[in-house]
Amino acid sequence: MLMQFTASGFLLGSVYGLIALGFAVIYKATRVFNFAQGMLMAVGAYLAVTGSVALHLPVLGTFAFVILSAAVLGALIQTVLIRPLAGRPLLPMVMITIALSIILRASIELIYGGGGRTLNLALPSGSVLIGPVRISAIHVTAAAVSWLCMGLFMAFFRFSKAGLLMRATADSHEAAVLSGVNANRINALAWALGTVLAAIGGLFLGQLQLASVELEAIGLLALPAVVIGGLQSIPGAIIGGLLVGLIEQLASGYISPKARDIFIYVPLLLILLVRPWGLLGERELGRV
Amino acid sequence: MISNRLRLLLAGVTLCFAGVAHAAGFESPQDGVYADHIDWGMTADMSGPSSGAQNPWGQGFQTAMKVVNARGGVNGRSINVLVEDTRYDATAERVAYEKFVSQTPTLGTSGMGNSSAQTAMIPLIKRAKLPVLGTYTTAKATVEPPTPYFYGGFCGFKEMAQVGVGFFTDHLSLKSPKVALVRLDVASGKEFAGYVEASVTARGGTFKDIPIKVVAADATPQVLEILAMKPDFVAIHGVTTTSILVMKGLAQYGLTAPAFAITYLGTPSVYESLGPDAGKNYSFVSCFSPASSDPKASAAMSAAADQYGQGKLKDDVNFVAGWVIGNMVADAIAKAGAEPTREKLSQMVNAGFTANTGGLSSELKYTPTDHLGLVGLKPLSYDYGTKSFRSYGDYADFTKYLN
Repeated sequence: MLMQFTASGFLLGSVYGLIALGFAVIYKATRVFNFAQGMLMAVGAYLAVTGSVALHLPVLGTFAFVILSAAVLGALIQTVLIRPLAGRPLLPMVMITIALSIILRASIELIYGGGGRTLNLALPSGSVLIGPVRISAIHVTAAAVSWLCMGLFMAFFRFSKAGLLMRATADSHEAAVLSGVNANRINALAWALGTVLAAIGGLFLGQLQLASVELEAIGLLALPAVVIGGLQSIPGAIIGGLLVGLIEQLASGYISPKARDIFIYVPLLLILLVRPWGLLGERELGRV
Repeated sequence: MISNRLRLLLAGVTLCFAGVAHAAGFESPQDGVYADHIDWGMTADMSGPSSGAQNPWGQGFQTAMKVVNARGGVNGRSINVLVEDTRYDATAERVAYEKFVSQTPTLGTSGMGNSSAQTAMIPLIKRAKLPVLGTYTTAKATVEPPTPYFYGGFCGFKEMAQVGVGFFTDHLSLKSPKVALVRLDVASGKEFAGYVEASVTARGGTFKDIPIKVVAADATPQVLEILAMKPDFVAIHGVTTTSILVMKGLAQYGLTAPAFAITYLGTPSVYESLGPDAGKNYSFVSCFSPASSDPKASAAMSAAADQYGQGKLKDDVNFVAGWVIGNMVADAIAKAGAEPTREKLSQMVNAGFTANTGGLSSELKYTPTDHLGLVGLKPLSYDYGTKSFRSYGDYADFTKYLN
């Protein structure tokens, strides 16, 4: 049982890690605590429905459609809603993301109706037995794609010129601007990437159950994941996602489904009290 | 010269016109009754976690009312449905009810698909005396004993448990069934668990209660518990994603034990999402018949659904339920007379009222001691080959399981 729960938690946590990574990218680049991340994930599921059902695209075409549409949406959100508030206090930024989440939910319900939509992409099905552990092919696919996306992002962040500029802007916005970096473009790129990562997570969760606005609640598990891992740490977000997945499976399996929330949010409280910069984050020191 | 017979006929016709004119002139704004129309309230989760099931119910109810109005309404008055989206929120349910009581008065209200809200609102309903006629779910506390002014409109959890457990025990030729129940940790889930356990233990069987959260990304822990028990069959209570996660999980682990779910979860979207591999073992118990399971009985409903742009929903058992309740409400208003008030309507229903549901449901009947309404149920499954629902028999075939 322990091995089974651990394997399931790892696979599920990989998807959480992907969504949390999107959250961390946006926060690291623009210092915006994006409460709409869960709904952006639901948007990804509905984009997949549009691609596969309405546009009759094949699986890879649906993936491409989701990625492109999510990237455009993310860049648009940054340009229209976030950029005008640059330099403002934290509260208006937070309120903007909450309002964005509500608007996205209402828009989905208007366009697709209030109920969930079936998403049946031709992804691998069935299950494989590895020793005593049985895992489903769709969970393995979701985890594999999540790790691929995370790897690609890490490579982009570390080795590409745009990634370097993004890191520079994240480290010091003013210094980057003074050095001639187009910070607005970099921030729009960060939002596009963050939205794409959430949307891919949404596609898989929609495939596992239904494309529904209620996926938002699952997507919001990215919040404790990034806080536990470290708000500004890219590896921390992934580790946080994995931890949340493992805790969820073990707590639900050995105690009760309701215990899940206690075992996820108590560590969150402890981290905030004892190590607010997270497990892998770096402590910010200010000169006085 | 006019004959006496013709005089009598003319007098009769004049009296009839006078009567209709008088009835049409009757108004009782505090009851939502006006000369040309009647306001009727409807609350449902048109959005929120339960919207996948309640939204089709609301569409079915409104489609029925559109047909009633297209035929000239009820006693010369059209029915104006005032819709409130309550988003599975007990507070919103209470606010909407109070709104229908006095702010925008209605003759009655339907829906109220939140069992927790129903239980909490019993004192308010008794006090405000606005009839709740035809609910989407029926909390035990509202009908045992019957709450005045409250009349259910959906299959009861006790009956779902009794028919589901009884049928599968016989169908699988079991002497003492082993049953695993996956259910939400909410009031109706606990209620259903109690009924399933009672039905199983009455047959000398064993029962395992396995809770799951409303919002879950995965059901591996629940599926592993089921595997450990090796049940003869599985019962499911929850929302659509509960069924999808559990059935897909069971298929993943190669468990082929049949499962039955509560009525709400017998929708085409659940079967589509499951696919044939996982869906072939999945059934549900229902007091309503989806269109494809009885094309003859559902002909009028199907035509109306197509006409009003709801054709995709006609095979959804929740849409059928809304349609049945909409027609029942119109029927009840008609029988409350040409000068209907809340009090007259409630008295008429309480005195004993049977709705003609045209074979789309089991008998829908209220008496002074029974406000549940629908009692009979039947198990149904889905044929992926013909993309239609298939019932295991008629409602009467399963009344033997009810007690």
